[in-house]
Amino acid sequence: MNKPFLRSLAIIVCLALLSACAGSSPPAANATQAPASQVEATVAPVADPTAAPTVEPTPEAPADNSVSLKWALWDKELTIYYQALLDAYKAVKPDVTIELLDLGSADYNTVLTTQLQGGDDIDIICIKDIPGYANLVKQNFLEPLNSYISSNNVDTSLFGGTVEQLTVNNDVYTLPFRSDFWIIYYNKDLFDKAGVAYPANDLTLDQYDALARQVTFGEGPEKVFGAHYHTWRSAVQLFGVLDGLHTIVDGSYDFLKPIYERVLKEQDDGIVQSYAELKTTGTHYSAAFFNNQIAMMNMGSWFIATQIAKVESGESFSTNWGMAKYPHPDGVPAGTTLGTITGISVSSHSTKKDEAFDFVNFVSGPEGAVVIASTGTIPAIKNDDVVAAIASLPGYPTDEGSKEALKTVKTVLEMPLHDKSADIEIALNEEHDAIMTYSITVDEGIKNMNERVAEILAN
Amino acid sequence: MNSATQARKGLSRKAKENLIAYSFIAPNFIGFSLFTLVPLIFALVLSVLSWDGSNPIEFVGFDNFVRMFKDKTFWQALQNTLLYTAGVVPMTMAAALGLALLLNQKLRGRNFFRTVAFFPYVASLVAVAAVWSFLFSPTRGPVNQVLHMITNLPVSKLPGWATDKNWAIPTVIFFSIWKTMGYYMVIYLAGLQNVNPELYESASLDGAGAINRFRYITIPQLAPTTFFVLMILIINSFKVYDIFITIFAGADNVLSGTTRVLVYQIYNAAFRSLNYGYASAIALVLFLIVLIITIIQFKGEKKFGE
Repeated sequence: MNKPFLRSLAIIVCLALLSACAGSSPPAANATQAPASQVEATVAPVADPTAAPTVEPTPEAPADNSVSLKWALWDKELTIYYQALLDAYKAVKPDVTIELLDLGSADYNTVLTTQLQGGDDIDIICIKDIPGYANLVKQNFLEPLNSYISSNNVDTSLFGGTVEQLTVNNDVYTLPFRSDFWIIYYNKDLFDKAGVAYPANDLTLDQYDALARQVTFGEGPEKVFGAHYHTWRSAVQLFGVLDGLHTIVDGSYDFLKPIYERVLKEQDDGIVQSYAELKTTGTHYSAAFFNNQIAMMNMGSWFIATQIAKVESGESFSTNWGMAKYPHPDGVPAGTTLGTITGISVSSHSTKKDEAFDFVNFVSGPEGAVVIASTGTIPAIKNDDVVAAIASLPGYPTDEGSKEALKTVKTVLEMPLHDKSADIEIALNEEHDAIMTYSITVDEGIKNMNERVAEILAN
Repeated sequence: MNSATQARKGLSRKAKENLIAYSFIAPNFIGFSLFTLVPLIFALVLSVLSWDGSNPIEFVGFDNFVRMFKDKTFWQALQNTLLYTAGVVPMTMAAALGLALLLNQKLRGRNFFRTVAFFPYVASLVAVAAVWSFLFSPTRGPVNQVLHMITNLPVSKLPGWATDKNWAIPTVIFFSIWKTMGYYMVIYLAGLQNVNPELYESASLDGAGAINRFRYITIPQLAPTTFFVLMILIINSFKVYDIFITIFAGADNVLSGTTRVLVYQIYNAAFRSLNYGYASAIALVLFLIVLIITIIQFKGEKKFGE
């Protein structure tokens, strides 16, 4: 190899290095992040969703006065209510064809933003989480819906206050169609083996901790862990906001100290599996629950449909299972839990906004709610009938306690809407990770959260 | 008149030649400018701007750099990246050169062993990282089980590998060496083929032993190869991201503490915070570090070559 060649090579590589880091190129990490993808609402055993966008038109050829809309969403193959919704809508509006644009779940917000910045003609957008919503609103990618809501006489009171929580500067940019909340899943066989009574629907955090210690037994590969915290920050940290005295966007996080101390003590005592090990082995919470390794797990209601389907397919060995209400701090009523909202919006760049809103209104409205509930997923419009419909699905645990578990009295949003929520989330996720891996102490972690979020809020 | 015609003819011939030459360069250069040069210049400009990809661009001067120098996580990422580079570069070079020397011998099944050494480089990162995570799992992994049998120490006293803040960087360094040494071995093998065998022969006749032949013939003859390997290794080490994400990122997809690296900071700033200006400022620092190291190496290489 001669020197001029090496020299030019060096220059080119240096340039390539910088350009690879420039904002305009797509993230190189998509492929590598796929295994960590959180598959919510898995329903059938289908191949992994790919990160690459795929478009699949519905089979019917469009008629003359037909309208074609493009809907951006994630995990098309794993989520059964998309097709159910399309079928139901087709019955009402046969002229409208809707293409599904699957952007994958692992990096949905990033891929979606890239598509929108690139001028993709998306008409309808699924909102995966609040930080993603806040960013899309800030970037003006979502159409304000207030005028559509009033002209179509949409009754927002049906959503039980969530529309108000999604309002930014007096305008709302999405309508919720799914509203999940957190509950306790437990393995009845393991409780029977330990000779311990099943979890009640009114556990305090202290009682939950004590119960988890009671149902921990065995050694080595046969060991049963009393509880399980998935490697999401929300699975641990948000016990702290259930009392309604603090929110996660406050900027002051001293109230989290007892929460972290309790969970780290459980980790030290071998009541729960080590966060670091779960993380580095990429263990998915469903695998831990399916394999009869854990007696109790706190997780969102999206896992109900998955667990029912996997018991049926034989993949979940935890066939004798139940549910209980989320554990709560002292002095807070049972049925207080965390919630997340999945929304559906109209793209501000769409040329068919009225048609797009009509579909948004259908999906989020009472008709869509019935369709979504029939697939075992909890719709945003959640009344007693919907809850009863889900609790009577084939495969749902038949005991009264498990049916009662779905009744909530108060739902606190995992992440309240805030224009800095994306940045706050990064800081909190990172400090949570550092605390849970013992990289820093609880006090250092909380100090870092306070400092970093103060910095974010000041800018 | 006569000379003027000649001049015109000469010019046109030269222009023609140039045109042909440019036309050969064009396909590559158009691609390079479109996908590398333009984004590069854009990135440079972005570092003094504030932009979220949609709203109007604002000029913010050196705010992004001021913020970066005050950002503790940036310094932590820089420190981790430097540590990783300091570990990976010399050890990978040594391992690759050692392998190349071994597999350059005339031994039975040489091609098979070359393939074996190259295999980790071809294997999918995600798949092999999963296998490594399992092998090095502190409580359930075979590595610690073997260590336990040898040392009889309880598992809590054995290294926590990727799960332990002190072992995290060494663990990825080992992983990275194993994963990439096959590639650099191939480059070294190619370099070794270019060494004139007569040099060894005459050195042997003069009574040089194996060590002296290595010291006075192999190493100097491999200098350009070593330089190339060193440069590529350093650049790749500074750009490290995928290995850390596959091994350390949990379900929230974050890196923290001793596992944070520079490119992760860039990714976060650009694609999670939608702050392309800040991301470009960090990218620029990364670029300058690599550029400076490369310039120093060029100077060193020139000296060494003489």
